[in-house]
Amino acid sequence: MNTVAGRGAASASPAIMAPGTSGVRLKVEQASYAYAATDRSAPKFTLGPTSFEAQQREIVAILGPNASGKSTLLTLLAGMARPLSGRIEVDGVEVSMLDTRTRAQRIALVQQESELLFPLRVWEYVLQGRYPYGKRLRFESEEDCLLAGNALAQVGADALRDRWMDQLSGGEKQRVILARALAQQPSLLLLDEPTQHLDIGGKVELLRRLRRLADESRYTVLVVTHELNLAAEFCDRIVLLHKGKCLRVGTPAEVYDRALLEEVFEAPLEVEMRANGRPRVILGGNH
Amino acid sequence: MRVWHGRFVTAAIVSALIVSAGPRAFAAPDTSRTVTDEVGRKVTVPAEVKRIVTLAPNLTETIYALGLGDRLVGDTNFCDTPEAAKSKPHVGNPQNPNLEAIVALHPDLVLATTSINTLETADALKRLGIAVYTSDPQTVRGMLDSTSHVAEVIGAAQQGTELVGRMQQRLDALHARLSERPMVHVLFVVWLEPLQTIGQNTFIADALRWAGTESVLVSKQNWPHLSLEEVVRLQPDYIVFTEDHGGGVSTELADLRARPVWRDLDAVERGHVVNVSEEVVRPSPGLVDVIEQLARDVHPEAFAADEGRRSRGGTLYAQHEIDSVGAGLKPAPTCPAKELATCAR
Amino acid sequence: MRPLTPRRVAWICAALGVVLFVATVISLRMGAYPISITDIVKTLFSGAIGRWNDIPGEYRSIVFTIRLPRILLGILVGASLSTAGSGFQALLRNPLADPYVLGVSSGAALGAIISLIVAPHTPGAIQLAAFAGAAATTAAVYFLGRRGGQLDSGTLLLAGIVAASFLSAIIMFLMTTLSGRDLRGMAFWLMGDLGSTLPSNPLPWFEGLFLVFVLAAGAIYATSSDLNLILTGEQEARHLGVNVHRVKLVVYIAASVLTGLAVSVSGTIGYVGLLVPHLMRMMFGTDYRLLIPTSAIGGAILVVLADTLARTIVSPTELPVGAMTALAGAPVFIYLMRRRVR
Repeated sequence: MNTVAGRGAASASPAIMAPGTSGVRLKVEQASYAYAATDRSAPKFTLGPTSFEAQQREIVAILGPNASGKSTLLTLLAGMARPLSGRIEVDGVEVSMLDTRTRAQRIALVQQESELLFPLRVWEYVLQGRYPYGKRLRFESEEDCLLAGNALAQVGADALRDRWMDQLSGGEKQRVILARALAQQPSLLLLDEPTQHLDIGGKVELLRRLRRLADESRYTVLVVTHELNLAAEFCDRIVLLHKGKCLRVGTPAEVYDRALLEEVFEAPLEVEMRANGRPRVILGGNH
Repeated sequence: MRVWHGRFVTAAIVSALIVSAGPRAFAAPDTSRTVTDEVGRKVTVPAEVKRIVTLAPNLTETIYALGLGDRLVGDTNFCDTPEAAKSKPHVGNPQNPNLEAIVALHPDLVLATTSINTLETADALKRLGIAVYTSDPQTVRGMLDSTSHVAEVIGAAQQGTELVGRMQQRLDALHARLSERPMVHVLFVVWLEPLQTIGQNTFIADALRWAGTESVLVSKQNWPHLSLEEVVRLQPDYIVFTEDHGGGVSTELADLRARPVWRDLDAVERGHVVNVSEEVVRPSPGLVDVIEQLARDVHPEAFAADEGRRSRGGTLYAQHEIDSVGAGLKPAPTCPAKELATCAR
Repeated sequence: MRPLTPRRVAWICAALGVVLFVATVISLRMGAYPISITDIVKTLFSGAIGRWNDIPGEYRSIVFTIRLPRILLGILVGASLSTAGSGFQALLRNPLADPYVLGVSSGAALGAIISLIVAPHTPGAIQLAAFAGAAATTAAVYFLGRRGGQLDSGTLLLAGIVAASFLSAIIMFLMTTLSGRDLRGMAFWLMGDLGSTLPSNPLPWFEGLFLVFVLAAGAIYATSSDLNLILTGEQEARHLGVNVHRVKLVVYIAASVLTGLAVSVSGTIGYVGLLVPHLMRMMFGTDYRLLIPTSAIGGAILVVLADTLARTIVSPTELPVGAMTALAGAPVFIYLMRRRVR
């Protein structure tokens, strides 16, 4: 079990990691981005140079309030856009250089599901995660079915196999989407605000599952979120973003500095240290 | 294998027998001849044309007018004149006849006309090896010529000459009677709402001219639409409807008198509303009757001397209802628009 | 978990193929001229082995000049429209999409009406002009339907509807200024008709049409795995490695070609492109790897049966095929809609 104590020194500059036995999975070096936006509805948005690393079995949280650059960073990590400067590497290969199929075999993205047009069964949906592993017009093999079945088992959704997608609850759907991502057998698992529509029980369950996946199956998990306490409780590393700038990278204990958090989230906050070395954030005094 | 071979031979023999006993349309007898029809296509016609299929009502009428109704083996759903034509086997409607039904009738010759049939039908029949003669009557005189051509093609040249001669005579007589009269301007109503009339190049326009009338609208389009304002401006002397509007003329007149703007037209106020048989659109022998009748309706003075002697010449015909300004010398009683219901006409 | 296998696709298509064959035989049998099935089989057989002289002349005309070409045309048109319909439903993300919604049929009709004005009796002119009209409309709607350089479903749908109304208005204008004779030709376009467009030597023409069908439908089929993914979300599909932009373009062009093809030879036959994909989905599921071939065969069956009814039900009058498919299609469609709104 990874503990906070094993990590490097806290500082405002990017943490320098001694290469551990697990190896660096994800390396982000001074990646930045700017939208050449002509679209009037979106603000002209930039992401300043950001650097951090993630290893196997780590859960990293990209933390920040709305409009802090989290989505932009996620887009870059998913390989959907080229960083304006810097590099993003997964397993030593630059992400934006990968062809789409290889990229889909390395990186899986979990987003809120779009509305399904036609009825689909859960297993059909999960099986689609095997798309990057065959020819363009493909019929799934035995192995594909096996792996899809495993993915469902990994998220505890085996019993949902034959159900219709549009009959699932929010939490169940969340799990199925995760299963599809896992069916891709990625090195890097990206999740975009996965706890948005879940109640507190669901949130905890999801994070626990991600923790287990990371530990047991050696995924590297990256979660974009603004949930301070969940991030603190479950994540190994935090990347704190504010208005497009990466303010701090480190363990929760290192990053959760009261003054810093108050500035970023623009709310009176207090930070407590708990027994297990992880911080907890609560609303501060005068509101 | 042998059984199969045997069956095949049987089929071949049976087929050969059928062919030899079979439809004349596919045998080319030595006594056939080639004529050119009125759209310029070459047609191979057998010497004896015993089985005729017509694809248009005017052609059906022509056949009967020539006295050859017994040679007619099939016509269209629309062929209703004379009565006997309705009981002939039908091949569908003129625009889209059923090819198989035509083939089933084993015709020697199929008659078509450009006024209602389509080129595709003629082509299809040609591909099936069936002789099609297409007539193209653009004017009343053209209709007369067509009639004699058709008569000749089917081997009834003498009957044709007689029929055409009679028709020509009546038309000439009519022409003489009307030669001193000014043309009456009419609004020929193809459709009331939206209001549609005829253009100068239509067959109907030509027929109207023979009746001493002229369409009040001069247009190069064949079926122009016009607005009611135009009608008010043009003030036709007579308004002409075709009979298939149903109800007869008294209904038409009452109807128009109830309509705003229409009821203030000179023609409506004077009751100058006339029905003609729907035959007016058909280039057929019955047209001569229609022309004569229309002439009587709008040029009553020219017929004043014949009052009481209403002859219905020709071989075919429908009764006409007439509502005209009396046959002669009495002045037209005017009927104020407000009292239309009670005003006697 | 029973994923779709090529074998399952083949079996289902074979079964549908048998139904199509039966429909064809029924259609060959029906008509104003009585020929028994035995005679039909003999005629077909003799024709197939080249012994034309063994066939009684009339049978030959009826079977080979009237009925068979019409059936083949019906198969072609039905398959084209259904395949195009299923493609458009995926492309536009709209289950109510049919092949005509993007204005392709109006463009074809306009081409046809212009050729009727300019060259009324040139053989083949109408078909070529109609196809040209369809192609031009496809291109125009494509350029109007882009957003940020890519085909966007919503924008495409709007562009297509606008194009369709605009073209229809022009057609109305032309129709009121044409002489009465030419109007008869136009009624065909609006109602759909399989009867009249064959040239005297139809075989190479048919071969050409079938070739185009195979190419276009094949292109759509090649993207069927991609379409399955796109239907669960375009962003998700991109992340899984689907080249969404390319797939949409291929489907758009191929489906438009199929629609243009069908409309140029037979006018607008409605409901086939809309209903058949839905029916096939209800019976066999929404997987496009199965949906596309079953829609094609299903569409062929529907049009052949509809045309058989159309030309025999009030014999000797022939109804336009489009009227039959609408008469049958509307109630079925209403039923389907009610099922969805559960």
